[in-house]
Amino acid sequence: MTIALVQHFYRPSPRTNVSPSLFAVETLSLSKRYGKTDALRGLNFTVNEGEIMVILGPNGSGKTTLLMILCTILKPTSGTAKVVGIDVVEDGTKVREVMGIAFQEARGFWRHKPSSILRFHASMFDIDPAKRQDLIERTMKDLELWESRDKLFMHLSGGQAKRLETAKVLIQRPKLAIFDEPTSQVDLRGKRKIWDKIRELRDQGSTIIVATNEVREAEYLADRVTILHQGQRVVCDTIPKLKDAIAGGDIVEVDFEDPVSEKLVDSLNGLGGEVSMSPEGNQLRAKVSRAEDWVPKMTSASYVAGAKIASIRITEPSLDDVFLHFTGKALADQP
Amino acid sequence: MSHLSRLVRIARTDFSYFFRTKWLMAVLISLSLSDMLVVGLVYGRLIPTRFAGLTYFQFLVPGIVVVGLFSAATDTGRRIWLALREGVVQYYLTLPIRTRGLVGAYIISGGLGGIVYSGALLAIAYVALSFLGPTAIPVQGIAYALLLIPFLFVLATGIAGLAAFFASVSRRGEIYWVYAQALQVSMITISTVFYPAQTIAQYLPAPVATIAEYNPLSLAAGVLRTSAFGGNPLDAGVLANLLATSLLLAVLGALAYWTILRNIRLNGKP
Repeated sequence: MTIALVQHFYRPSPRTNVSPSLFAVETLSLSKRYGKTDALRGLNFTVNEGEIMVILGPNGSGKTTLLMILCTILKPTSGTAKVVGIDVVEDGTKVREVMGIAFQEARGFWRHKPSSILRFHASMFDIDPAKRQDLIERTMKDLELWESRDKLFMHLSGGQAKRLETAKVLIQRPKLAIFDEPTSQVDLRGKRKIWDKIRELRDQGSTIIVATNEVREAEYLADRVTILHQGQRVVCDTIPKLKDAIAGGDIVEVDFEDPVSEKLVDSLNGLGGEVSMSPEGNQLRAKVSRAEDWVPKMTSASYVAGAKIASIRITEPSLDDVFLHFTGKALADQP
Repeated sequence: MSHLSRLVRIARTDFSYFFRTKWLMAVLISLSLSDMLVVGLVYGRLIPTRFAGLTYFQFLVPGIVVVGLFSAATDTGRRIWLALREGVVQYYLTLPIRTRGLVGAYIISGGLGGIVYSGALLAIAYVALSFLGPTAIPVQGIAYALLLIPFLFVLATGIAGLAAFFASVSRRGEIYWVYAQALQVSMITISTVFYPAQTIAQYLPAPVATIAEYNPLSLAAGVLRTSAFGGNPLDAGVLANLLATSLLLAVLGALAYWTILRNIRLNGKP
């Protein structure tokens, strides 16, 4: 498997500085400083091939700076960044051939129509001219842009312009697709469409990075999540593992038909987690690391003690809670 | 796809913008046409004096054509300013083309704008002269005009380069127009675009007269007068000077624009 991955990314060329890499994206001690402000501080970050990596962080956390470096618009102050094994500073043009980005603020030629913008984009990335028109039409229809095909870019609504930005990446089908807050200004129906298309792109083989500060977007899309805070990576893992990592992360509420005995409470306390009983003694609330492990043990203990369970409710923490746990601040409270 | 074909595609897209701002085209062409037709033809009849064998109309029109070329080429600056402020430049920076290719594309697009616009003015002038003018255009003059097109193209790229520089350093759109107008006033005033060289030498200090003589706008207007309208053979020395001064402007402008793009890569803004 490792050899296959290396072979996939390592395509030696006399003109490019390609080095073997196991990751679709890899940064090492990456820093970016604007004047006296550090936007990124020694960031180590990797993205596996074919996954959707969501970068979660408030405004000013360094998300956009990281993306701008990966798509070669910005040069890092120090450290290295590689996209499919190609150094973004040493061989930016080569990186740009395999990468596509949908900007946070839509960028288009003001006096061009959406189809003309997409045709230009497709031509710059060598999309087969025979298939180009078909692909553009299909993508525009998928993203509900077809009705706006005769409008100039400057007359598109914010949501339409954002969808056009996404469409550029979708027709390009790059090895690395970057979406910077892809659904800001887009209505709920449009959001779902964009999310589905992003997942489809992943299923077609692209590696995807999505930067967002929307928890729902992250939960819908992410294979893994990296939390950025003040230019540093705080944590990176799958969503279930991030939630599990919170001590007392799952909340289990159990209703018993009758008040339970002290003995059962003692035995439940011995199962781990933080257990509290209601004053009436028939409702239990436990903060546990993994509800799926704790609940079977609890039901066994209750059965042995002869306590009848009326209902069990399990709630899990949101990514907001995860962010709060790892940074000490709520995502929504950030500037 | 090669870098060259990507460069051409970007230049073509940017060039197409020139025709998409119809109001600007209308303003530009109406000013040039009114200068050419009203002032040229009316004054041509009021001023019977010939300058180096040319009527006043034949003397004036090359100047108008050169100013038209200047205006059209400086439109590149407006487009660059818009592209910088609207973030289109950032989009261009994500395309698989080198920064110098991007600079080249803009400069070429400016050159194309200049040549298309001034070429149209030249054609209108020929038509006007054929129907209304006191003297006919020599056939070889049209052939010389066609031969001059590549040189005028290089001149337009030079002016586009300067416009790119001013666009890059302008914080606001209005400021860009101030720079562009100041450049136009100074380059046209210190030139022989609208006055004979001896008039400049007579009234202005010698160094200014020398600058006016080697001003690429003067050289272009001069060669249009003598060859495209006068029918005299093209002067290789003048063409070499025109090429050298225009290329110098193009290189300086391209370098300035390249520096701005480099600043964007370093600082995230121009």
